[in-house]
Amino acid sequence: MIKRKLYIIILVSIALVLLSVTLLDEKSTSKNTFSCLTNQESFAAGKPITIEFKGNYENKPQLFIIHSLGRTLLDGVLKNDTIQFNLPKNYTNKTGLVSWFLIENNEEKAKGNFQIVPNDKTKTNLESYLGPPSTLAGDNHFVMFVTIPTDDFDNPKLENTNVAIKHQFLNAIATDNKKTKDFIAWKNIYAPTKSGIVLISASCNEALTKEFDAVIYPSIATDFTISYKRNHEFADGNQITKLTTSTLKDKFGNTVSDGTMVTFIIKNKENAILKTFGTTIEGIATGQILHPEKEENYTIKAFVNGISKSNSIEIAYKSINPTVEFSFSKDNRTIIVGPIKSFMNQIVPDGIKVNLNIYHKDKLVETITENSNKGKAEFYLSPEFYKEKSYRFEIETLGKTIKTKEINVVNQ
Amino acid sequence: MSLINNRNSYRAFLLISFIALNILVLFGISSILAYLNEGADRSTMLHLDKVSANTYLPKVTWKSLENPGREMEKQTLATLEKHYLFSWYIKNNALKNNTDKGIDDYFTENPRKTLDTIIKNNKAKKISIESTTLTHNPKLEFYSEDGQLVVFTDENVVEFQNIYQDKKLITSVKDTATYKVLMLLEDGFWRIRHCERMAKVADSLKVNSIEKVFTVKGNQILKNNKPFVIKGINYYPKNSAWDMYGDLFNLDTIAADFDIITNAKLNTIRIFVPYEDFGKAEVIIEKLEKLKQVLTLAETKKLAVIVTLFDFYGDYSVANWTLTQRHAETVVSSCKDFDNIIAWDIKNEPDLDFESRGIQNVKPWLSEMIEVVKKAAPNHLTTIGYSNIKAGEILKDEVDLVSYHYYEHISLFEDKLAVLEKATNKPLVMQEFGMSSNKGFWSWFGNSKEDQATYHKKMQELFKEKQLAFVSWTLYDFPKVPNGVAGKWPWIKNKQKQFGFIDVEGRQKPSFLYITY
Repeated sequence: MIKRKLYIIILVSIALVLLSVTLLDEKSTSKNTFSCLTNQESFAAGKPITIEFKGNYENKPQLFIIHSLGRTLLDGVLKNDTIQFNLPKNYTNKTGLVSWFLIENNEEKAKGNFQIVPNDKTKTNLESYLGPPSTLAGDNHFVMFVTIPTDDFDNPKLENTNVAIKHQFLNAIATDNKKTKDFIAWKNIYAPTKSGIVLISASCNEALTKEFDAVIYPSIATDFTISYKRNHEFADGNQITKLTTSTLKDKFGNTVSDGTMVTFIIKNKENAILKTFGTTIEGIATGQILHPEKEENYTIKAFVNGISKSNSIEIAYKSINPTVEFSFSKDNRTIIVGPIKSFMNQIVPDGIKVNLNIYHKDKLVETITENSNKGKAEFYLSPEFYKEKSYRFEIETLGKTIKTKEINVVNQ
Repeated sequence: MSLINNRNSYRAFLLISFIALNILVLFGISSILAYLNEGADRSTMLHLDKVSANTYLPKVTWKSLENPGREMEKQTLATLEKHYLFSWYIKNNALKNNTDKGIDDYFTENPRKTLDTIIKNNKAKKISIESTTLTHNPKLEFYSEDGQLVVFTDENVVEFQNIYQDKKLITSVKDTATYKVLMLLEDGFWRIRHCERMAKVADSLKVNSIEKVFTVKGNQILKNNKPFVIKGINYYPKNSAWDMYGDLFNLDTIAADFDIITNAKLNTIRIFVPYEDFGKAEVIIEKLEKLKQVLTLAETKKLAVIVTLFDFYGDYSVANWTLTQRHAETVVSSCKDFDNIIAWDIKNEPDLDFESRGIQNVKPWLSEMIEVVKKAAPNHLTTIGYSNIKAGEILKDEVDLVSYHYYEHISLFEDKLAVLEKATNKPLVMQEFGMSSNKGFWSWFGNSKEDQATYHKKMQELFKEKQLAFVSWTLYDFPKVPNGVAGKWPWIKNKQKQFGFIDVEGRQKPSFLYITY
């Protein structure tokens, strides 16, 4: 009996010991549970944020926070049985979701998150971008105006914040109310058909942007006409013919931008192509061509490269039928051509081209070219090169050809 | 005439040292002049695109490029992505080292100011945060007409960080959040203007039912729904141990070896993919092709394969996680069509790196890598080959198979196994075991070939009794073992050379009889 009692006592005491151990164990685990006392889930930026916990701890717990731009570890402030964590200013000033992790003894004890929202009580700032800053008139061309309204801590405002975007052109002023989405409120401003400057601005609460100007350039040129002007119709190789376009306009009637390049393509009788260029001023471009030296027929057409073309005009140049005299020196080795006389019997201007073709036994030996000076051109046949006895010459100038007879030259 | 105390030798010595001194002085002056004349590298005047391979490669998947503004160009998107990732890299680096290096390049003025104060505070409190982001799922919201402003939502960014204070680890934290980002193009850099952290969005991941050849049911591995007991061997070709895909790679040799393995009635091999040898983050195609050839060959010989990744890798630093993940992704996804792969073994004996590399780096690295591998080849199983049976409990809930290596005494095996069996009900694989028959000059008290045979006989008896899965170490004795494996001491190296069932001359050792049960 006594033995049995003893057994029971031993058994019960063992059971008690086990029970107490398990209970103690439970207690020690409950010792490390924390509850967050801060229920607020959303804070305005710039306001102090304190996260409070209640619980028992052995070592001082720390709070790890992940924030839009940074992460850090906070030390708590003990107050009775609560522990408080104060977020530093650089974190409370910026919006976004903040995740926190309570850490004690290198272990995560609790976690959660809260939101910092933009502070609408602070001054609104409005950052804005206009791009592209210029475009062409009409045709669905547009410039894009993007605004980013922020609070005074540089946090983008909440979605659906109203931004008024205004733009003015001539007498028309329009206001458009846009709501922010993805940080921005934006508007495409379509170009009017008239060229000029569109002024754009925006406002959000009391914040105003400066005045942005979008330059609306005239659209591309449409087809045009050309005309010409000249002093006389003679192919004297000296005067200039001026080619002029009509005023180049886009399809909306705007004069094209100054400096639009016009190319004049000139085709002559031999189908050779000559070119001259002009850039527009007030829509008009001029090109200049030198008169040819012989009878010619020019066909001229102008282009704005790849964009528009003009009509085609023809200009005829008459030969001036010059009178050309020539003489030989005593030894026949110097040939003087001239004076060359023009259509009014005047002496031709300096710089007229004179060709001398030299033949020996009907074979071209050489062509010498000289420019006229005071109506004359002088050729010298050096005995070193022209060793033969007799040569025949042809003189070409201003579209006229004069052939000489066989001429004997003196050899030393 | 003695050489010492000879006036001539003094003279010669003085003269030579004088000349030598002169030469040195002249050389010094000339190199200073040369340095001063170098001038700055002229290319630094230009804002050339920096070569940026291999620094930060988290997985980026653009969800949608549709936006109400301008159509996104491929070229811009590539630059934007690069610069956005750089901003993360720089921020991670700033929080780790508390420096402001590079912040000017990837953040505009206002966020820069905030970042500066954050870094200063952390520096003052000696806080260092090693962090990385693992996945980014950006969705384009807006791209401005002039191509200078962009807004996107980067959904469910997976962030991992180790937090240190006073160089002591506080804790590791993994979190997922969404970021809304506004970037501006300034001086050729896309810079962060606004960045707001938001709650993560619900994942719309589709769960596809994938046809798996190898599956796990309870503590059993099934092949096409029938129980499959792994009877395997670790394999390296005899002459290219630990360098299987190098210059000595020969498919005929491997084919002959596979024949030996199948004829010995084994059904599985375990092979290794070295990390650096395969080109790290930018996997070398030629090596990958060789691996595929080996897998194809194994398939024709009806051998199942356990592929061990990250051989000879040992960095684990949080900053380089993304690089290793790209490596695993490339290797695993390009082999995902092989039906004969039982499992991807994430890393050989990573528990040995816990101390030197920090368990806070290694363990989460393993667990993240399991996820990457599972995503790249959802039809294959995963495992980690721990160095001992006790370590098998690490991450036991995340792997599909629990693998362990056993080089302790046989008598302890059953008790230790019982502990592990109790800890998990997943299939267990003895992934390496063996004995070196290295009795000889370097080890007088080592085991003989007969001892080795007895060891394998006993082991196989145990396996047979319990129908255990085993992969033995190894088929061949190796004539050469690289220093990287067993160090340079000949007595250790020599031991490592003689674990094989077949000796260097190609003769079967007595243990070959007990290669399986």
